[in-house]
Amino acid sequence: MKSRIVTIVLAVGLGISCVLLASRIGQFHLPGNQQGYSPAQPIAYSHRLHAGEMQIPCIYCHYAAQTSRHAGVPPANLCMNCHRDVTSSLGALHAEDELATHEKRKPRQVVSPELQKLYDALALGPNLQPDPAKQLRPIEWNRIHSLPSFVYFDHRAHVRVGVACQQCHGPVETMERVSQFSDLSMGWCVNCHRQATRDGIGGARVNASTDCSTCHF
Amino acid sequence: MPEKLWRSLDEWHTVSQPDEAEFHESPIGIGGGPDRRGFLKAAGFSFGAAMLAGCGRTVQKIVPNLVQPEGFTPGRPVYYASTCGACSAGCGTLVKVRDGRPIKLEGNPDHPVSHGGLCAVGQASILGLYDSLRVTQPAIGGKPAAWTQADALVAARLDEVRRGGGALRLLTPTVHSPSEAAWIRRFLEGFRNSRHVEYDALSASAILDAHQATHGARILPRYRFDKADVIVSIDADFLGSWISPVEFARGYAVSRDPGATRYAWHAQVEPRMSLSGTKADRRVIISPAETTPFVHALAEAVRTGGSNRPEIAELASHLRAARGRGLVVSGSQDLDTQVAVNRINETLGNYGATIETSRASRQRRGDDRALETLLEELNAGRVDMLIVAGANPVFDLPGGDAVSKARFLAVHAERLDETAAKAHVISAASHTLESWGDAEPVEGAASITQPCIRPLFQTRSWLETLAAWSGHAGPALDLLREHWRQSIFPKTKTDLAFDRFWEKALQDGFVEYEPPARAKSAAPQRETAPPQQSKPPEGFEVVLYAKAALLDGRHAYNPWLQEVPDPVTKIAWDNYASLAPAAASKLGVASGDVVRLECAGQTLELPAVVQPGQHESTVAVALGYGSRLSARFAKAGPEWIEGRPTLNEKGLVGANAAPLLALERGALRYSRAGASLARTGKRVDLACTQEHHTLTVPERLRPAAGGARPIVRETTLAASREARPKDAPVPELWPPDHPYPVHHWAMVVDLNACTGCTACIVACQVENNIPVVGKDEMRRKREMHWMRIDRYYSGEPDNPRVAHQPMFCQQCDHAPCETVCPVLATSHSDEGLNQQTYNRCVGTRYCANNCPYKVRRFNWFEYARDDRTANLVLNPDVTVRSRGTMEKCTFCVQRIQDAKIEAKRTGRPVRDGDVQTACQQTCPAKAIAFGDLNDSQSEVSRLMANVRRYRVLEEINVRPGVGYLKIVRPDSAAGGEKENG
Repeated sequence: MKSRIVTIVLAVGLGISCVLLASRIGQFHLPGNQQGYSPAQPIAYSHRLHAGEMQIPCIYCHYAAQTSRHAGVPPANLCMNCHRDVTSSLGALHAEDELATHEKRKPRQVVSPELQKLYDALALGPNLQPDPAKQLRPIEWNRIHSLPSFVYFDHRAHVRVGVACQQCHGPVETMERVSQFSDLSMGWCVNCHRQATRDGIGGARVNASTDCSTCHF
Repeated sequence: MPEKLWRSLDEWHTVSQPDEAEFHESPIGIGGGPDRRGFLKAAGFSFGAAMLAGCGRTVQKIVPNLVQPEGFTPGRPVYYASTCGACSAGCGTLVKVRDGRPIKLEGNPDHPVSHGGLCAVGQASILGLYDSLRVTQPAIGGKPAAWTQADALVAARLDEVRRGGGALRLLTPTVHSPSEAAWIRRFLEGFRNSRHVEYDALSASAILDAHQATHGARILPRYRFDKADVIVSIDADFLGSWISPVEFARGYAVSRDPGATRYAWHAQVEPRMSLSGTKADRRVIISPAETTPFVHALAEAVRTGGSNRPEIAELASHLRAARGRGLVVSGSQDLDTQVAVNRINETLGNYGATIETSRASRQRRGDDRALETLLEELNAGRVDMLIVAGANPVFDLPGGDAVSKARFLAVHAERLDETAAKAHVISAASHTLESWGDAEPVEGAASITQPCIRPLFQTRSWLETLAAWSGHAGPALDLLREHWRQSIFPKTKTDLAFDRFWEKALQDGFVEYEPPARAKSAAPQRETAPPQQSKPPEGFEVVLYAKAALLDGRHAYNPWLQEVPDPVTKIAWDNYASLAPAAASKLGVASGDVVRLECAGQTLELPAVVQPGQHESTVAVALGYGSRLSARFAKAGPEWIEGRPTLNEKGLVGANAAPLLALERGALRYSRAGASLARTGKRVDLACTQEHHTLTVPERLRPAAGGARPIVRETTLAASREARPKDAPVPELWPPDHPYPVHHWAMVVDLNACTGCTACIVACQVENNIPVVGKDEMRRKREMHWMRIDRYYSGEPDNPRVAHQPMFCQQCDHAPCETVCPVLATSHSDEGLNQQTYNRCVGTRYCANNCPYKVRRFNWFEYARDDRTANLVLNPDVTVRSRGTMEKCTFCVQRIQDAKIEAKRTGRPVRDGDVQTACQQTCPAKAIAFGDLNDSQSEVSRLMANVRRYRVLEEINVRPGVGYLKIVRPDSAAGGEKENG
């Protein structure tokens, strides 16, 4: 009797774990590899719209990539350079215009719900004036590209020699929600470094070192 | 099959059933269910699969600024010019701020006082900012209170004192900040009976008093070691802890550059082996009691040209030969002695040349007479209100307990030290890096202190507290700016508008101006009677001194300063009774034996340390230990089964020797006669790194013909000025497979310039996130410092010659460590670096065993990183290593990479000087040069071609990338080339 219970428990356990494993086998990665990681962000910011449709250069927002190790997520005040004026999509504005004409009233200000989150973070009230009743609330983005703490990648060096952002980050301008394109493994880094030293980048000779201390210190 | 044996019938029964297995496979024994192995397999698989399926990602957040401050880029450091507040020397600093937090102090190369150097104390002081055990808010009667409450209480008491005409006293250390001084005057104005008393725990009061006597002004002159050709120091440790060591070490190095046209001769007259003594060309050992007669005899010899004592005649002849280029300094606290020293300098015409009184120093202003009076008043109960700011008299003064006899005691303190613990009101002090302030260490050189971070806790700078208690509360920036507008700006006679002037001052960190001329007073010609020959005192004389790292103990909270070994004894985490070898053998004690020291009614139990080069009748004890701030180190280091206590039985680091000080005849005296020593029979294990990581071969392994290995080499001045002969080619077994196509990094250390001050060790510790291991681990030779300074003696133990040798990874071309690593965690780079890749290291420690220089360090534990506030000091550019990893000096590869990338970014080649290693940057003597050997114009290439350059253990042909420059000994003493092993 006892042995039968053990057998049943084991069989059930085995079954459940197999089902669990099977469902995730397709996206199996070695530990640390986050290729394809695409978490939802606190604000549904669309790179497709900004970088693709609007053709805003990557460096406009991620300006730190030129001068610092980190490309960085832009501060909210940088978004306000445009979104002080642009509060919603053109479609929504037209819709409101039409509705207003239809209802014979002045069109109201349309604020998209996602942009409202930005204004809330900056404690801005209606008309985008600082609202003393609100509190500044920094936006907590979910980090996608993350290297282990013993690796030191430097954007400066790569941007300067003309490595396209897309070479590592993939076609971000087509991504509604950014996902990790490359596996960011050491082999992937080293392959590119070897290739760049052999073939150059854009016709220019480069010295992409493969010394350990290039990245590990 | 051999026949089975049996010893009893029971056994026979067992062996006779051959088909039964030795182990029962099934726990249940009856068939049907899974057997044990099957169970484990299935359960293990299920468990593992569930784990794997459940493997999630740790979600990391990025929280950018909402509004990015201008000129601020994440990940890019910003440097602010400021002034070091760790002691009263007032060195200029550049504060490296990464993402809003200061992470490193560097010397400001343009600063008129420090010229780019920073000492160990300054380097370590940044940890004080992130000290979670600081006084975080004001307190009343030991209970936390709000600022408004504390200010109201103080204001009420001040009002009482003002109306009642009571006695108000303000006790501070040296105040050389012009704005603070102005506000102190303003604060004390409204009181009928008020006085400001300045004192220094490491006092130079007698020098000031002597100048009052001989020059008519109570000033501390500025000593220009950089202009001196003959330096005679009488018990002044100017390279270690005396007044302004960074400034003096820089000047000393300038005067003692064998490549220059002049080379200073240095004589040190002292009772114990001080850091300055280790560098001296001539060392005369006298006891403190002999100092006064010695100085008078020297004065006489300087005047007449002769003396019957040969050592005095020698000093006098050197001094007389360099009139106007000599410098005699003394650390004595005896007024007559200091007056005699002034006379010597006056006779030789050194005033105005090597001793400046027109731009006098303000680094020591303490007045011990006023202090004596204050203590008398306190003891008589005549002080109604005492305010102590930035000082700890209860700890560092004899009879300092008297402060608690003031009717009301207000203390402005950063930590709950002995004095703050007695306070009625504590004003929580901000760290220098959180405060606006200024300093004028030398007249005519005003230096700005600017905050680099908002106060982490509810603290205030002294300037703000002063203003608040004066009834003019305001932000420190306004107070400071206003003072500069009114007082400093007019003095500079600049054409700039004030706003522009202020911006420039902030950017430079300092301004210089011509100080107002001091009224020439007819100096009262004070004649000193030659001292009566007194018979030598009975027993031992106690010599109290300050270590270069811990000074007067104000930084006793700082684990980096506790862990850095003393430059001479190489002992960390303790103070001790230093004895001459002869005295020790007479007493029958060895290093580590606890002795009882009795002097003037005080008893101290300290471990003995036998110190070569000390006067036989003296016992030297370091001040600054036994502070209650050191009680926090009970858990310094890993906790493990064999861990031993890191504190003494009183729960402190060391014992406080301040009660042995004598405040008598108007001066705080650092020596005292009539001490007795006795053995206690106890022993303690000292954390002495002296013989750790030794390069020398043990006697029993030494090859018969080998002789000494050339580790430290000496030369003469004449030989050091010759051209370098061509290096002989070395036979080579290895193929030349390190071409170094772009850069070839290398370092040269000038052993003649190195003073052994340990600033580099602490700088390296800050830069490279090196953990503190604690006393017990140090005893086990497990210190983690990437860089050490080996101290070698040569000659006779009663007065040996000393050599300091910074030792760190030599980045060998044929590195023995690289060939033995089984996982290629250590390998050679294309730029001459011996790289250590932490994530590859599995911790076999083969490399450390195979390293001839013994410079590799192993992480035996996961060293404590659980103080989140303290972790803010970590350098984000360097990996924090985990347990089981080998590490070592990297030549600050993070700085190399940064300089290379920055050069690439700005489209120019890497220039000489773009990369400065942490040790090189901080070195007060500029003894370390670093650069690219492929650049034939670089400083390091030039020094590699210097005739003095050699490499340590050259004969094993590992081709180190570090060169050393030989020590220069005076031609008479060394007698030619020497190789010490």
